Amino acid sequence: MTYIEAQGILNKAKELKTEGFDLLLSIFAQETAENIECIYHFCSTINNQEIILKTKLDKNNPRIESISSLYKTADWNERETFDLFGVEFLNHPNLKRILLPNDWKGHPLRKDYKQDDERLSWNER
Amino acid sequence: MTTALDNREMLINIGPQHPSTHGVLRLKMRLEGEIIKDTEPIIGYLHRGMEKLAESRSYCQYLPMVDRIDYLSSFFNLASFCMAVENLSEFEVPGKAQYIRVITMELNRIASHLLWLGSFLLDMGATSPLFYTFREREEIIKLFEDLAGARLLYNYYCFGGVKKDIPEGWDKKVLEVCKKLPKYIKEYEAIITKNPIVLERTKCVGVLDKTTALSYGITGPNLRASGVNYDLRKVKPYSVYNELNFKVCTAQNGDCHDRYRVRVDEMLESVKIIEQAIKKLPDQEDVLFTKKIAPAVFKAPEGETVSLIESPRGITACYLTSDGTIKPQRVKWRTGSFSAVQLLPELIKNRQYADLMPILGSLDIVLPEVDR
Repeated sequence: MTYIEAQGILNKAKELKTEGFDLLLSIFAQETAENIECIYHFCSTINNQEIILKTKLDKNNPRIESISSLYKTADWNERETFDLFGVEFLNHPNLKRILLPNDWKGHPLRKDYKQDDERLSWNER
Repeated sequence: MTTALDNREMLINIGPQHPSTHGVLRLKMRLEGEIIKDTEPIIGYLHRGMEKLAESRSYCQYLPMVDRIDYLSSFFNLASFCMAVENLSEFEVPGKAQYIRVITMELNRIASHLLWLGSFLLDMGATSPLFYTFREREEIIKLFEDLAGARLLYNYYCFGGVKKDIPEGWDKKVLEVCKKLPKYIKEYEAIITKNPIVLERTKCVGVLDKTTALSYGITGPNLRASGVNYDLRKVKPYSVYNELNFKVCTAQNGDCHDRYRVRVDEMLESVKIIEQAIKKLPDQEDVLFTKKIAPAVFKAPEGETVSLIESPRGITACYLTSDGTIKPQRVKWRTGSFSAVQLLPELIKNRQYADLMPILGSLDIVLPEVDR
């Protein structure tokens, strides 16, 4: 597990791709006390290596460059991360909710998320 | 999808309730006559918030829920979650439990592939193979019922081992089923592999090349059918797979027929794995788990871990972050079907509408796993 700067993710991903990390297993986020961490898990089918990259994002305004131009699978993984964590991926071709309905309010996996949408019935809130 | 429709094109909607989408998948399609121009899969109809639910439950409360992520291969999800917790807690799984895990997982792989085979042919309009495959699947499901008391959702593994010992004579029953399976699989090959209608509908249909597959994060049999020899059981052995002798099944063309071939070959390999594991199963060992844990107060030590497993539908990964309390801080599931649904529009672009079902079927998508 290595920490890298959030700005450098696109270049780092490019570098990894040329080094033979051809499989992006997943992108996801998690919340710590200070930050939102965006985590990338790369795999190489050629020389059987694995690498996990972590980036620290600002809790109030989490944004990071999208790597969907390099790995197609990043597209949906980033959409999921946006949906559940509200991380904004810059230059993403189609950044919208994927698992939850389009009119959902808030990002459920954030620790401060409260389900208080007035459209829900009393037992769902 | 957003571009305006040509006057010869039409927009159609498939699903979410459709018999051939294996659950609740919705596809928005732009068609020009019979040719599919563009597709947008819409998922999330089965989203149960498995990752959110983990935050409000203790480890032992979450364990039975894990089964539900993919109900056709429950053992793999269980193993993935248990291995993640074992990594953190540094539990060493005893030998007998390891072998029981391997046997149950491989049996589950066969059951899952059998169901896939039946429904794949059902999608293409052949109704009878489903009854054949369900006949064999039933035998495996009965074995699971003897073992765990449940037919689909087993909740049989625990942190550090398995919950109880195998019943008397169970291993003999498994061997009997293993003996019958290759014969049955030959029967399928006789009615499927050389069937001209099946060949016509699957050969050179939905061709997936190596680089596209890797770029889309496709794993498991779908990736191996495209000629990539990547099987976690071989390259990164977990459990006791390094003590067992088996080969990785691959194919070169990456079309629907190859994906079918790889899965059928995999079933035969799984039979071999089970037979070896039964032979190596220790007789006189009573230890089935590392130590007895108290469910209400069990705490995994602080840390982060990932456990990767080769499930029937690709790599299942469980990312677990613990803050040292009784509840996990974050659980993330990575599943093979999620990538496969994303790939679908690419595979069916500019193909006949009739090719949709063989291609969708051959990818082996299970929707609860996509939506979690």
